[in-house]
Amino acid sequence: MRDQALRYRSIHTQLMEMVLTLQQTVEDHIMQLTTRPQQRDLALEEQWHRQAIREQEALLGRLLFQIVSFLPAGAPGDQSVQPPCTSTDSRGDVGGGQPVQANRQTGQMFYQESDFENTVISYDLSNRGIDISALYHLSFRDYDTYQGNKYHKDKNTLGYINLGTSENKLCTDLLAERLSQSDMTYVDEDLLQYTDWRGQPFLRKEVARFLTFYCKTPKPLDPENVVILNGCSAVFSALAMVLCDPGEAFLVPTPSYGGFAFSTHLYAKVKLVPVHLESQVTEANGYPFQLTVDKLEHTLLRAKIEGKKVRGLVLINPQNPLGDVYSQDSMMEYLEFAKKYNLHVIVDEMYMLSVFDEAITFHSVLSMKSLPDPNKTHVIWGASKDFCISGFRFGALYTHNREVASAMSCFGYLHSISGIAQYKLRQLLQDREWIDNIYLPSYHFRLQEAHRYVTRKLKASKVPFLNRGSGLYVWINLKQYLDPCTFEEELLLHRRFLDHKLILSPGKTFMCKEPGWFRLIFAARPHLLRNAMRRFQQVLVEQAQERTVKQLEDAMKEEVSTPQPEAPASPALRKS
Amino acid sequence: MFTLPQKEFRMTTACPGSDSIQDLPSNKGDGLERECSRKPDQKLLKFYGVGDPAAELSSSSPYLSSRGSVIKWFWDSAEEGYRTYHMDEYDEDKNPSGIINLGTSENKLCFDLLSRRVSPTAPLSGIPSSKGLSSLGFPGMLPPESRLLASVAPVLESGDPPLPWGPRSLPSGLSQSDMLQVEPALLQYPDWRGHLFLREEVARFLSFYCRSPAPLKPENVVVLNGCASLFSALATVLCEAGEAFLIPAPYYGAITQHVYLYGNVRLVCVYLDSEVTGLETRPFQLTVEKLEMALQGANSEGVKVKGLILINPQNPLGDIYSPGELQEYLEFAKRHELHVMVDEVYMLSVFEESAGYRSVLSLERLPDPQRTHVMWATSKDFGMSGLRFGTLYTENRAVATAVASLCRYHGLSGLVQYQMAQLLRDHDWINQVYLPENHARLKAAHTYVSEDLRALGIPFVSRGAGFFIWVDLRKYLPEATFEEEVLLWRRFLENKVLLSFGKAFECKEPGWFRLVFSDKTHRLHLGMQRVRQVLEGQPQLADGAPPHQIQEPQGPHR
Repeated sequence: MRDQALRYRSIHTQLMEMVLTLQQTVEDHIMQLTTRPQQRDLALEEQWHRQAIREQEALLGRLLFQIVSFLPAGAPGDQSVQPPCTSTDSRGDVGGGQPVQANRQTGQMFYQESDFENTVISYDLSNRGIDISALYHLSFRDYDTYQGNKYHKDKNTLGYINLGTSENKLCTDLLAERLSQSDMTYVDEDLLQYTDWRGQPFLRKEVARFLTFYCKTPKPLDPENVVILNGCSAVFSALAMVLCDPGEAFLVPTPSYGGFAFSTHLYAKVKLVPVHLESQVTEANGYPFQLTVDKLEHTLLRAKIEGKKVRGLVLINPQNPLGDVYSQDSMMEYLEFAKKYNLHVIVDEMYMLSVFDEAITFHSVLSMKSLPDPNKTHVIWGASKDFCISGFRFGALYTHNREVASAMSCFGYLHSISGIAQYKLRQLLQDREWIDNIYLPSYHFRLQEAHRYVTRKLKASKVPFLNRGSGLYVWINLKQYLDPCTFEEELLLHRRFLDHKLILSPGKTFMCKEPGWFRLIFAARPHLLRNAMRRFQQVLVEQAQERTVKQLEDAMKEEVSTPQPEAPASPALRKS
Repeated sequence: MFTLPQKEFRMTTACPGSDSIQDLPSNKGDGLERECSRKPDQKLLKFYGVGDPAAELSSSSPYLSSRGSVIKWFWDSAEEGYRTYHMDEYDEDKNPSGIINLGTSENKLCFDLLSRRVSPTAPLSGIPSSKGLSSLGFPGMLPPESRLLASVAPVLESGDPPLPWGPRSLPSGLSQSDMLQVEPALLQYPDWRGHLFLREEVARFLSFYCRSPAPLKPENVVVLNGCASLFSALATVLCEAGEAFLIPAPYYGAITQHVYLYGNVRLVCVYLDSEVTGLETRPFQLTVEKLEMALQGANSEGVKVKGLILINPQNPLGDIYSPGELQEYLEFAKRHELHVMVDEVYMLSVFEESAGYRSVLSLERLPDPQRTHVMWATSKDFGMSGLRFGTLYTENRAVATAVASLCRYHGLSGLVQYQMAQLLRDHDWINQVYLPENHARLKAAHTYVSEDLRALGIPFVSRGAGFFIWVDLRKYLPEATFEEEVLLWRRFLENKVLLSFGKAFECKEPGWFRLVFSDKTHRLHLGMQRVRQVLEGQPQLADGAPPHQIQEPQGPHR
């Protein structure tokens, strides 16, 4: 009984806190709505204004949803009440540990809110625990759906085909074969015991050697500068911890790999400030989505005005999802910019060996004769993409900065790799002959083939895309299928793909500013890719048909409503 | 070795446990000032302490965030002994005058058994098992049942729906060895909670070895790369930054870092005494009164306590909680709505049958199943601290889901998961070969060390579990201070033997050391010889010995 009373009291307090926050947010919201943009650049001002409103709406939606979830199960209007907890403890009656569903209707209104449906809300978790569950669910919902119902050419032809997760499935056969060879099976006492938390010395040595060779560094890299953790997400998460305090931020040119936002937020509570790139080629932009120092500077200064503390810049090279490879000159400019503003630079070179167009030369940042600010330049590489072993969990940091390396080493406790796996990795990375003569040629050939196939299909469907020669993906433009061209419509198109059991990643997950872009992974086996592209075309045909119907309907409505002058809000007008 | 600054408090207000204060000498009034000097004849009046890992740090780095600086300080200060050891590791042939490590809690006694099981191609070195080679996992020597099923196991392909090797089936590559399997699916992104085949095996394994009343469920299992990660993840999802867990001290000190690094969660020590008072039956006994006091103390300081960490069998005490005690602690936690994390990482390292160890999962009824979270790993029980495998068992789906949401950062290689499943499912080998041999070797090593200690007249605590003995060297400290403790520890290190000092376990009484005995005979003998040399050269406090010096534990406590 006492437990229950306490429980209710604590719920009450939390509820009150939420309502207070809600009140504050509503006030801010109204303020924003009523304050008119003043002087300066009106268009820009307008844009921030809208951005701010969107953020507050998201927060509002989320708070409301949390409050709804906190109310005891059985609240009016909630049709999806879960059966009460079967445990005999006091939490059963408030639905502890039960998923609480949001109302679908409101879910349509707030995109963010709808993402919280099915989220587990529990009184056993801390707020950040709830946040973590929710964010994970939000970010990997499609992935989980796919895991539960995967396509198989014989057993499950109606399952999901995943061209959303950047996972390399082209060469798993080569890797499985290589990893089964007898030199991989060695086990000794050291591999089974505690070791150096930065990674086994033999592996750090091999990684240094490997990067020296494939990054073409002017001088041999030092194994002491290598920190090995179980995956690049882990490296990124730990870097965010040691370089930023909570609430501080990294600049990141967008569209950009969405996992960063996840990795910086989840544990570290570090923000990303997007440097929005544009598809339009203008004077400043030599090519679509070009990153320029102007844009970096502009975004940085704006962030400063807004009171954000920016500690670093994150660059992905080759870029994900664009597939761009930065020239040495551009890279130098970005590094100089960072030095000027005293920023760390994290260069993610995850796809460095996945450049399949022979005309393109990739220049690792480690190949530079001299780095503008070597103590603030940190390079990440892992074997997940380049060697098709995302399940291996291996990521490496190379940094000249010993303080950063020391602090990162501490995270070895939490992100360590099995000694047995470390041994296999060493064996793999040191087999230069196999890599150069067997693996890389086959890998690049298969990437080329898959890329050629997909781009041919895209051209046939008249879908514009960025034709790049690196990475496992193409960045495609489906704006013409969105009507109107909004993120809501992008989401609807994404759902239509899902309905056809095809997973692509919508541009929004890459923080792309322009709705309508999608990333399509082509590093899949031919039969899978053929099937996927068939589904893809089907969706586009359907979408185009629906659009035509809608336009016709709108046109008819317009005809009907033309005599009445006071109908400016009609969707047809808004569209034009 | 690292130590953390602790704010120390003396309870001045009346509290449930005040009985135990009553029989202290009457210097209560001035205890606060005098306790700082920690005279050996003085009662230590501390019952709890709130850890503040960031307190000691003064210098910050131009490159690191402020938390990054704290983390770096952790790293730099943590590894003094370990680093010294690594630079000068003992090797029978190559470096016979190197340091012998009796500080790190690792089981080095059974590598021969394991290497044969994990890698049948490894050279056959070491002592052959007394049980023979019949079920060591050689190809063709597997239990007939497995072999039969192996022939019908499906061939796998990448992109298969949920990994199809289910219970009790072996993949087709068995002709090489059951450990060499590399299926493409193992190389791809997994279910972040751990591959289903492994979670099924873990559930089965724990059901059997924890003797759970009902079969445990795979969906309650989350697999990660070690218990360190698990502590980190649990701290993060159960507490807000700055909140705390209770933990009886002395305890395995690394937990401080695990919960702090990402979680920024603190530990509130529940200080235990070497002295047996009141109704207690053994030194360093944990009682509900002490838990209550520590919780009250923390609350009075405004520290919000969210859970209780229990290590059973305990590290460094080697203590074992009886089912009755466990039940009491769990009831205490339930009363205060605290989560309980039960770390059972030494569960199969109980080498004294009479100790009567029981897993919390064997209890007929848990007071608060939704808030009871059990941790286990292969690091200790299978002597594979380098393999990085740890697992959570919790009935609380929200907690399991939240921890799994973090597993992206704490995953272990698919290939290792596969090997783990193969190992855990081999109950025949575990029961007939591994455990009997492991326990026999632990017992022999334990007997050797404890007899040595007895011959030296050194009291110690040990109850037949774990890899270590908690040794009372207080009489070798000229003054009962932690400074003296470190000096003694350094003397050991100078004499090329690494031990762990009590402060690293947040023990409140200076002079206790943890001595790990699970090492090969020749190393152990040499290590003990070096310990003896130091102690014999160390002036003992003849008559000035602390009046409340612990008596040598009797009976089962030995």
